[in-house]
Amino acid sequence: MNLARIIDQHPADDLALVDGAEEVTYGQLRERVDAMRTLLANRSVKPGDHVVLACGNEIHFVVAMLGVFGVGAVAAPLNPYSPIKELVRKAEPMEPTLVVVGDVASWMLERPDDVGMPMLDMSQIVDAGEAPPAVVSCEPSDPAVLLSTSGVSGVPKIAVLSHGNLAWVQEALTNCGDQSLQRDDVSLATLPVAHVLGLNVAVLATLRVGGKVVLQRRFDVDESLRLISEHQVTMLTGAPPMWQRWAESDAPADSMASVRFARSGAAALQGPVFEAMRERFGVEVREGYGLTETSSVVSTGRGLEVRQTSVGKPLPGLEVVLVDDDGEPVDFGDVGEIVVRGPGVFQGYLNDPDGTASILTEDGWLWTGDVGLFDDDGFLYLVDRVKDVIIVSGFNVYPAEVETALMAHPDVRGAVVVGTAHGKTGETVVAHISGAVDETELRQFAEEHLSRYKCPTEYHFVDELPVAPTGKPVRRELRS
Amino acid sequence: MSKRPDFAFEPAPNLPGSDRLSKYALAGINATVHRLWDVQVTGLENVPLSGPALICPNHLSFCDSVFVPAALPRRVWAIGKGEYMDDWKTKHLFPAMGMIPVDRTGGKAAMEALDTAARVLDGGHLFMIYPEGTRSRDQNLHKGRTGAARLAIRCNAPLIPVGHQGTVDIQPPGKFTMKPFQTCKINFGAPLRPADFGEIDDPRLGRRLTDALMFEIAKLSGQTYVDTYAGEKKKAFEEPGTRPMAPSQDAPTRPTRPASRSNGTSAPTKPTKPSRPTTPTRPTAKTS
Repeated sequence: MNLARIIDQHPADDLALVDGAEEVTYGQLRERVDAMRTLLANRSVKPGDHVVLACGNEIHFVVAMLGVFGVGAVAAPLNPYSPIKELVRKAEPMEPTLVVVGDVASWMLERPDDVGMPMLDMSQIVDAGEAPPAVVSCEPSDPAVLLSTSGVSGVPKIAVLSHGNLAWVQEALTNCGDQSLQRDDVSLATLPVAHVLGLNVAVLATLRVGGKVVLQRRFDVDESLRLISEHQVTMLTGAPPMWQRWAESDAPADSMASVRFARSGAAALQGPVFEAMRERFGVEVREGYGLTETSSVVSTGRGLEVRQTSVGKPLPGLEVVLVDDDGEPVDFGDVGEIVVRGPGVFQGYLNDPDGTASILTEDGWLWTGDVGLFDDDGFLYLVDRVKDVIIVSGFNVYPAEVETALMAHPDVRGAVVVGTAHGKTGETVVAHISGAVDETELRQFAEEHLSRYKCPTEYHFVDELPVAPTGKPVRRELRS
Repeated sequence: MSKRPDFAFEPAPNLPGSDRLSKYALAGINATVHRLWDVQVTGLENVPLSGPALICPNHLSFCDSVFVPAALPRRVWAIGKGEYMDDWKTKHLFPAMGMIPVDRTGGKAAMEALDTAARVLDGGHLFMIYPEGTRSRDQNLHKGRTGAARLAIRCNAPLIPVGHQGTVDIQPPGKFTMKPFQTCKINFGAPLRPADFGEIDDPRLGRRLTDALMFEIAKLSGQTYVDTYAGEKKKAFEEPGTRPMAPSQDAPTRPTRPASRSNGTSAPTKPTKPSRPTTPTRPTAKTS
């Protein structure tokens, strides 16, 4: 097998990619990928080599990645909008043979000394007229992609995903009832392709079925709505901040009429945003759950009835067990850490056997660090992160629950809750609040909506809260 | 030794046990309890005099099932082993005291137990359930199982937290007899209503409500709370009415359970734990 072959079977005249004014058919894409393989071979890129892709959501990215797969090398997409030092700091541990530079990172070409690694300018790619090297045959467990992540551990790591990992998730998404991915689907790729959801769901899975991928280089709410309408996008995947922007836009009600599957991931979607999307555009946003370490998807609401706040059901073929602190499966209906095993689970962290062993067992169980529960019908719900749980007098306090309760106050704009040491109760709850709200009033509000031990004992009022681009609160920045 | 609380007998012809026998048995037992022991009750105003409610005490001694009902102003029901119905000594008396026999063998036992409890609550009666599931052997208050909360949600009934002290001195573990002329304190807390803790259809509500209940019980009993289940894993769910809700038979996916908790409907699977450089039992990432 080789993921490079996912584009081989599709009609040459079908549109594969749209990037601004440029459109590429599957036939043209295959030619460009062939040329890319030739170029990589000429640069002595060999099977197993690591190739950094400093490309944005652009055609060059797809061509480069499939080319890298084709020669048996490993693609390592990085966010090209990162500052140069951060980009280099992330690239160096990957020990790349080559850095492929796309349009949006072309400034790197002018700073070779800062980059300090050999670069390949994608704008110079031309068909050299040579016969391309054959696509290298890979084993399912052969590495395909390196992705930077701080997901499970909170410490930056490089996850190794194999051809088999990514392909299994892509295949699973074609088997989700009436919302399965299919050839006439159009996907808007506005999530960064250096993120596993953008990479494997918005781009690769759509190409696998012969669909059309509309690339948006950087998220812009008006532009994305224009693209959805112009290209009749059917598959829309976004993070909660994107959904919020769409929900707040003043676009016509039929702007998303073509969307048949809307998916939110990377963080919890707020209830009002869900309601607004349904009321404004008639779009029911289904949440999903996954990690970089699971090749993007553990559970999905795709093809299922909408259950607000649920992240759907596990993909068939994945074992998902909820366990307590002792590793024992919890009672049915109770909360526990989500532990996953199956073909989408990654190979481990690059050059980090201890880090890998801390979350992945030899027989394939991935300890996700997320707390969740199943309802009676098998729908999965997320509760919080294991390491964020605050323990007050022995009782677990899930910050997300407290944050949601505080956010219900009309004057609270944002809330991030952390624990801090307390001499009497072990830990106590501390709330960081943005918004013009009176502390006494908020304390009273909390007491009316939360059990006593969950009520914050300290309040800090700030202008801005640390929130990741995905919408997740960055609690570690507020822990004292 | 103590004054018996006002008691209003509540007929329940649709539930097991003869009303007539029950009337005499409860009168006799309650009078005996208050004659032989000093039962000090607080918070009785928190127990509704009509309508459904779940009575949720801490569990330290076998005799908790005697003293807590004796402190109530109404009849109360609980689930007991079906085997009691095979013994002539208990087959009439126990149902009259409020025990509802449930056969707890077989795959549908848990559902049957909970359906029975729901029938009691839907009939507007009191139902007693130990949230810890079994007796605490170390005197601490242990993590609550979610069955009581799920029943409260299902039947829209309040949970009454109960914290008592003294029963373990009256009848220590392993003792058949109860020492007379001792003091037992039973404190009833304010009702917890499911709707006050979140959306009724949010499955997270079960654990949220259970933890709130245990917090109140800890305050009422003065026990230290520990976030682990009481008893040995293999012996969990032995007490009446505390089995976990079983997944529906047609659920497309279901979390696997270990053999010790399997009710015969699912293949047990226990994931192995990752190796940990610091300790053999926890992933390194989880120790920080």
